[in-house]
Amino acid sequence: MNALNVPKRTIALFVLPCLLLYILLVFIPILVSFYTSTLDWNGIGASRFIGLGNFKELFTKDPVFWPSVGRTLLFALFSMAEIPFALFVAILIGRYVRKPNFLVSSYFLPVILSVVVIGQLWKTIYNPASLGGMLNQLLMAVGLEHWTKPWLTDPKVAIFALFFVSLWQYLGYHVLIQFTGIQNIPSEIYEAAKIDGAEGLTADRYITLPMVLPIFKISIVLSVIGSLQAFDMIMVMTGGGPAHATDVISTHMYNMSFLSMRYGYGSAMASFLVMECLAATLLLIAVFKKLESKYA
Amino acid sequence: MSSLPGVTSAPVRAVPRRRASRVRGRGLVLGFLSVLFVTQVYPLLWLVIYSLKTNEEILSGSFFSLPHALQWVNYKEAYVSGTYLKYLFNSFFVTASTMAVVIVLCSMVAYAITRFRFKYASAVMLVFLVGIMIPLQATLLPLMIIFKHMGILNTYLALILPYISFSTPLAVFVLSGFMRTIPLEIEESAVMDGASITRTFRSIILPISVPPIMTVSILTFISIWNEYIMASTFISSQSLKTLPFGVYSFVSQYSVNYGAIGAFLVLGALPVILIYFVLSEKITKGMVAGAVKG
Repeated sequence: MNALNVPKRTIALFVLPCLLLYILLVFIPILVSFYTSTLDWNGIGASRFIGLGNFKELFTKDPVFWPSVGRTLLFALFSMAEIPFALFVAILIGRYVRKPNFLVSSYFLPVILSVVVIGQLWKTIYNPASLGGMLNQLLMAVGLEHWTKPWLTDPKVAIFALFFVSLWQYLGYHVLIQFTGIQNIPSEIYEAAKIDGAEGLTADRYITLPMVLPIFKISIVLSVIGSLQAFDMIMVMTGGGPAHATDVISTHMYNMSFLSMRYGYGSAMASFLVMECLAATLLLIAVFKKLESKYA
Repeated sequence: MSSLPGVTSAPVRAVPRRRASRVRGRGLVLGFLSVLFVTQVYPLLWLVIYSLKTNEEILSGSFFSLPHALQWVNYKEAYVSGTYLKYLFNSFFVTASTMAVVIVLCSMVAYAITRFRFKYASAVMLVFLVGIMIPLQATLLPLMIIFKHMGILNTYLALILPYISFSTPLAVFVLSGFMRTIPLEIEESAVMDGASITRTFRSIILPISVPPIMTVSILTFISIWNEYIMASTFISSQSLKTLPFGVYSFVSQYSVNYGAIGAFLVLGALPVILIYFVLSEKITKGMVAGAVKG
């Protein structure tokens, strides 16, 4: 039996401090926000119970909410599309570069930096050329002047400019994860396949892809959850503007809660966010279970 | 082509045609990877150059140019008016306290879950598992209300407490994953020799668990050191700001002194980059381990 018989007091001593702290700071706040989502409350004055009124307003009247949901999902799509690209890069590095560690850890560099630094850096890069923005200066230098744009204040492109920064920052992370996954495939398998005549792309198709699938799955889950929770980068760079053009669910929630001081309404959105993340995670797990039972 | 660092190309002379096309393919791939290298690293380098220019040089629009004279004065400006050291200390204090508590509490829980015989072990694990899926920003508003009632809004505690709890699930997973692999005989002989569980934990389990504790430290350090939203929501005093929040306020205050902004961004990134240069392999390994086990 792989267990120790320990007096109850000792168990409590080992488990409770961490567990209680965790419940107090994660689960209790979520419950509080489920409760406050049923209130009409500005945080200071008296609150009024309005049942599901906040949710009703959110789902039917709020002109910003559904576009925000759409942008969140779009971002999740983009992030998922990045993973096969990262896998491709990882395969190339593994096959063609003799000492890959330098390259992989350089790609990884942006991952460890704070969103504030990354966000401000890209804000500077996206600036109009007259304010020293690198991207627009670069476009002008190569004669593509009509492509220059105020990237973050043009409502049509701003959200994509933001997506790009996030994808840029996390590319190295996913390359690293996939690369490690590929490195862990025993080389005997490739040698055996070579004898059987499978090399290069064929070997990738029949060995690398199936073997790397569990790692690939982890990357997908991370990127989807990450993009559903996308928040701080947008807060740092645009705060949801111009005119809500870059709002996602969480930034809309933040602005409603802390700028418009609509605590009840903000809580309703926070509750929605929690449910959405739980649902998305369960859905992803189910999808991958099905895929695995089909192909493995 | 062969001059790329860390890359050796296949010998080119007298190769059959198939080999030649393979060499060309290899060149293409290396070209592609180099372009990617430039897009991932050049913006950071550009920031360093930018931070050493005068406002005129930045606004003149020639982004390839190097500064005529290195404007270290930008750094002086950032350092003096940005109270850099204060922010640095706050970040250090908050991150270190969080890491210490996380390591102690989480290894205790992980040990209990993997080794103690009690009914609720898997229930406790489930609580942490569910917690991983909860988005941090959903707790911002309720936590603010709770902290306000407790009177700890705008103190170090208002940051350290949520930081601890949000680092907990991953830490518990990484640690319990490792502790499960420790052979039980080690503890049995210790208990037989009369050591208490607490003693066994302290002088046998913890020393063995140094590698996963390293991983947990790295994961916690990176996420807490860089955290911005909670800091900006729960802290308002200038003297309590952490580095990311400090950088943000500096940037919004000195919005026309471009060089100084660049300098402050570089200073903000510097601690992590220095640590990364020293520990890059440990950090990348730790981050992958965290991802795979989380």
